[in-house]
Amino acid sequence: MMESLVHVCLAGISAGMFIWLVASGLTLIFGVLRVLNFAHGSFYMLGAYLCYTCLKFLGIDFWLGVIVGPLAVCVVGYVMERYLLRQVYDLELPYQLLLTFAVVLIADELVKIIWGAGSIGSPTVPGLAGSVQIVGRNFPVYNIFIMVIGPLVALALWALLEKSWWGRIIRAAASDREMAAAIGVRVPSLYTGVFVFGAWLSALGGALAVPYVGLLTTGMGEAVIINAFVVVVIGGLGSLKGAFLGALFIGLLNSFGTRFIPALDMFLTFILMGVVLLWRPQGFFAGVDR
Amino acid sequence: MNNSLLQVRDLSKAFGNVVTAKNLNFSLARGVLTSIIGPNGAGKSTLINILTGFIPPDSGEIIFQGKDITREPIDRRVRLGLCRSFQVANVFGHLSLFENIAIPVLAVERKAKSFLRSVAKDGEVRKEVDKILDRVGLLSQSHVPASALSHGDRRLLEVGIALAARPRLLFLDEPTAGMNPVERTRILQNIRDLSAHGEVTFVIVEHDMDVVFSLSERVIVLYRGHVIGDGTPEQVKGNPQVREVYLGEEVT
Amino acid sequence: MKSNWKYIIVALMLLVLIGIGYFSSRFVLYLAMKIMILSIFAMGYNILFGRTGLLSFGHAAFYATGAYGVALCSMHVHTHPLVGIMVGIAAAAFLALIIGFFCVRHTEIYFAMLTLAFGMMVFSLMWNLRDITGGDDGLSGIMRGSVSLGFLKISITKDSQFYFLVLFFFALSMLLVHRIYQSPFGLVLAGIRENHVRTEFAGLGVKRYRLAAFVVSGAFAGLAGALGLLLESNVTPFAAHWSHSANPVLVSLMGGLQTFSGPIVGSIVFVLLREFIERFTHNWMLWFGVILLAIILGFRGGIVGSTTQLVKRLSKVS
Repeated sequence: MMESLVHVCLAGISAGMFIWLVASGLTLIFGVLRVLNFAHGSFYMLGAYLCYTCLKFLGIDFWLGVIVGPLAVCVVGYVMERYLLRQVYDLELPYQLLLTFAVVLIADELVKIIWGAGSIGSPTVPGLAGSVQIVGRNFPVYNIFIMVIGPLVALALWALLEKSWWGRIIRAAASDREMAAAIGVRVPSLYTGVFVFGAWLSALGGALAVPYVGLLTTGMGEAVIINAFVVVVIGGLGSLKGAFLGALFIGLLNSFGTRFIPALDMFLTFILMGVVLLWRPQGFFAGVDR
Repeated sequence: MNNSLLQVRDLSKAFGNVVTAKNLNFSLARGVLTSIIGPNGAGKSTLINILTGFIPPDSGEIIFQGKDITREPIDRRVRLGLCRSFQVANVFGHLSLFENIAIPVLAVERKAKSFLRSVAKDGEVRKEVDKILDRVGLLSQSHVPASALSHGDRRLLEVGIALAARPRLLFLDEPTAGMNPVERTRILQNIRDLSAHGEVTFVIVEHDMDVVFSLSERVIVLYRGHVIGDGTPEQVKGNPQVREVYLGEEVT
Repeated sequence: MKSNWKYIIVALMLLVLIGIGYFSSRFVLYLAMKIMILSIFAMGYNILFGRTGLLSFGHAAFYATGAYGVALCSMHVHTHPLVGIMVGIAAAAFLALIIGFFCVRHTEIYFAMLTLAFGMMVFSLMWNLRDITGGDDGLSGIMRGSVSLGFLKISITKDSQFYFLVLFFFALSMLLVHRIYQSPFGLVLAGIRENHVRTEFAGLGVKRYRLAAFVVSGAFAGLAGALGLLLESNVTPFAAHWSHSANPVLVSLMGGLQTFSGPIVGSIVFVLLREFIERFTHNWMLWFGVILLAIILGFRGGIVGSTTQLVKRLSKVS
């Protein structure tokens, strides 16, 4: 019993880390641009497929794929913000949401056309392929690596936002757009920058997920975006710390849920989302931030 | 006592450390055109917002026509006869002027819930809407969307919407702000006529002292959430405390 | 003058639809039914979206409730299709009342997220409650019983017979939605979309009207779901998935949000375009995404809105 509890925990935390990588970009973009980006899951999916392609067809090393894949997705993010989203900032909310939804449809289909509709078996990573014994059971080394990467990214983001000059500008623009423009921040470029950076984070999550998920499907973007939405909502829209804690929480909840009450799989997640929206729309972990 | 329309008892409200109303006590009499003045940040807008139900007070009571309405929601207060206009014209932008006025008229006539009858074919509603549009001088533009109106006309329309709710007590928040002289004359004449008619009691929040002193029968002066002057325009003009507060600010 | 045109168009459309019912092949019948069912879904949905200004991602749940309602009713209670449809509508409306009660406390993004959360709760229940809903396989092989009205018994087993039942409900829905748009209730909803503060200060309880719009649109979604089940004779939990809620949004947007006929025109274009594109490629959703982008970026009035604008501009020139 004890062993299984530990392993359910570990599985939950490592799953949560992928959600965190997607949710961090999502919440950052919402905080600054005030746009909830459905296509964020597509960045995750694209990151995974591009990394896989580097690996398989171009014969590059996995780690190079993790760098190249997300960078390629940055270009997609740039095009999307610069030529699509920028046209609709002044429109009502439904148009913004639906524009990002249209991008999801297009991205999903393009992936199907390029890589085929079926699932692709994915490779193992040299060096991180084995598993170690933890309380009497095998646990993949790669998952431990992910559990280290997630908090590292969180730490780096925190340092970037709190300690650097860039971070100050981003926070200024997030709290007051007009004010930021008045003191000379080039808001449109900043928006592009934040959006591209958010896309990169999500794609990084996707690329790192390649060895983890074992199978790549076009549905993977949609699955992760729904979880990321829940995380961003319960963490408080726009809060990074909230998103980190939220992702851990959702990862654990899913993991425990499937293990102990499989009949309520998914249901718990959405009930939590609804409850938080109703009674604490500012987020469950709001107040953790400043 | 019988003539009192609205009574405010020990009303207080603070936002953090900023006190915007402190133990306010006053009552408004039926048919007496009252103005509320005070320097910026005196708590005038907050007071209107509390009285009309936009924000809840921290403590105190609001009695309207003998009924405690402190906890009543906005729409209930409006149905009881307490309505307002806003500082920034607050109308239904993409709807025609007819529709703008029809919404409160339907609410008053308790027809708003009906979902199978046609609004346009309801003679009673049309008559009432036309009457109100005529009163604010916008009848000829009945089919124009509100967003196409000039700023001043939009404010007239808003007063029309407020009047259509058949209020007993109507708060106007800076009714002449941003109007040209022609529009200003029209709206002031409207207020005078309606007030003289006696159906509606007006309470006006204004910056323009000319408007205040030419129009009102009673002036209440707010300063930092307190009432520091209350009486006829002449009494208030002579009040030393009021003169002190306004000295160097807006002497007229 | 202008309203006469509308009546003529509606009469022509009904004539064409009746003609299709008598003279068309099964394939055309099937397409026409799909269009009508999607129209019912979208017209009802647009009462909430285009009229009241609330974007819901949860209406697929009401559609699915309607479908499961009919299926379960005909499996366990009675095979009479009208009884099933009534049960489907009632169940959807009741669910909309409960979900709407919570959702209308918020607007904008929070409303959209709340409807998403509740809709997905329904989805996961349908997915997990295997004993009742059949789990991910759903329920299939539901037969259409005959419509018995006391002395009269009408069989609707064949598509060419069922078609007229769909047509009846389509015409009824059109009439109802049209009446709602002309009515005081419809005007109040438009007022809420334009300015909910002013509506409150006109003496109307905004939340209650929002809830009413939510329930009405949920009931139409239930009707569409019920008819959809009878047409396809099966239903899976994916009918309740949030991405299915996007269909009526896209259809309304395509046709024109602020118009009565928008959702109908949108449904016709949606179904036909899909059929057409799928002849050439399997990637219909790709083209659909592109069309959606074009509408959002260039033709926000939708087909109906853009056409009326064009007509107006042309008539001014001449």
